[in-house]
Amino acid sequence: MLLDYVLDMLVYIGIFAILAISLNLEFGYTRLMNFGKVAFFATGAYTSALLSMTGASFIEGMAAGMLISALLGLLVALPTLRLRADYLAIVTIAFGEILRLFFLNEVWFTNGPMGIRGIPQPLYSVFDNDYMLFYVLLVYTTLIICYLFAERIVNSPFGRVLKAIRDDEEAVQAFGKNTCMFKIKIFIIGSSMASVSGSLFAHYLAFISPDMFYPTVTFSVWTMMVIGGSANNLGVIAGAVLVQVFERGTRFLKDFVVLPIEPSNLRVILIGLLLILFLLYRPDGIIKEEKNRGLL
Amino acid sequence: MILEVNDIEKSFGGIKALDGVSVSIENNTISGLIGPNGSGKTTLLNTVSGFLAPDKGTVYFGGKDITSLPPFQVSRLGMTRTFQITRLFRGMTVLESMLLASKTQDDGLFPVFFNRKKLMETERRDVQKAVEILDFLEIEHMKHEYAVALSGGQQKLLSLGMALMADPRMVLLDEPVAGVNPTLANKIFEKVMLEKEKRTFLVVEHNIDILMNFCDIIYVMNKGRIVASGTPDEVQRNETVIDVYLGG
Repeated sequence: MLLDYVLDMLVYIGIFAILAISLNLEFGYTRLMNFGKVAFFATGAYTSALLSMTGASFIEGMAAGMLISALLGLLVALPTLRLRADYLAIVTIAFGEILRLFFLNEVWFTNGPMGIRGIPQPLYSVFDNDYMLFYVLLVYTTLIICYLFAERIVNSPFGRVLKAIRDDEEAVQAFGKNTCMFKIKIFIIGSSMASVSGSLFAHYLAFISPDMFYPTVTFSVWTMMVIGGSANNLGVIAGAVLVQVFERGTRFLKDFVVLPIEPSNLRVILIGLLLILFLLYRPDGIIKEEKNRGLL
Repeated sequence: MILEVNDIEKSFGGIKALDGVSVSIENNTISGLIGPNGSGKTTLLNTVSGFLAPDKGTVYFGGKDITSLPPFQVSRLGMTRTFQITRLFRGMTVLESMLLASKTQDDGLFPVFFNRKKLMETERRDVQKAVEILDFLEIEHMKHEYAVALSGGQQKLLSLGMALMADPRMVLLDEPVAGVNPTLANKIFEKVMLEKEKRTFLVVEHNIDILMNFCDIIYVMNKGRIVASGTPDEVQRNETVIDVYLGG
């Protein structure tokens, strides 16, 4: 049982690490204030779930989720990325909520608050008793691919422009770069990657419902990125580990100590405290951004 | 003529920052733009480089109408500018900043995954060129330092270097030697002189003495208008200029 518990935690860490890397591409490297990360996570989860219920394979569902998230990302990015940075934050947070309410209310489509049950799990019959172990491998293979993909992007001339946009967008335009296009591209990539994570999430739980996609998911990913080290892909993975361990660890606390407050509230308080301590004493995160010494 | 500015007007609220400015600049010259604070020098640079759209008037660059083009397109046509307050990229090293400025960079997404070989080739060429320019500006030894870790003067050199890296036909320099010691200031202008055969320069500067030494033509602005223009000798003897600067 303890093994199952550890494996379950590993799956969650992996899923959130993918989300954190996708946010890192958007915010860590490009300063795009995406406060609607959960929207693309949910899109992946729902697309995968709905398609697999009609008989599509795991891969097909994931690919469709990526495509739909990319299109939704483009839809959000086009009108907002031309505006000041804070508008993107407002629009994305609203978009996440709109999408959640859509999943909640369109009962004919998503089964509303009752959620979608019995989402088929890929290769379940093959692995059967070792299924958890298989899923950990599946999640971590995906995580490694996402990590390498992100590293390749940021360590390229394309990534160099992203970092420059983060520092001073106007000055980048003075060198003939259409900064808006760069921002749209990375936003679409980030959205697709978040969708991959959502697909893994849906197939893992075999059940999803709209109440899994509150804005708190977004904030949790932000916490991982800030604590882990913005603009460092290994850092944000470390952040995902730390925040997940903290969240789960505090759940056990109630078995050992008597507290004057509700234990689940304590968890939120402690994560908040952790975040504040990091911002005060280690603002660069667990692993800070590396100095780039060139591609050669 | 490489640059022709015709009767440009630009207002901010009730203030006419540019009130019918016309400027013609010839190929391979260094032109200076002087004038008191608030006379509209930087506004003119912003309008020419596409950062501001003029209310009236036209801007032609190399015979092409660039009046309402966005900055990145103006830059692609071969005009690069620097900023008055040096705007360097905080998270980037000197070398990275130089590479960013290059126009030959393979900065699309496709080559990142599918044409790595060509990307690395371009990168190698760009690095070589960047190092040459940094060497020319005598800051090559700083190439792996963060750009913001450079001294004020070195930062000015770097922004000149970035402008040169883009290999533009025309460079607009906004106060390239402000806050720089006289020796280094002279050196910066000597570097500009050496580049003159390859490109055209328009320089906004408060250090009038240095402009008099290095410029072919000087434009004098006051209250949004060009009040005088000519060779340094002519401008120095011009009554209006003496008025503007000594307060008439």
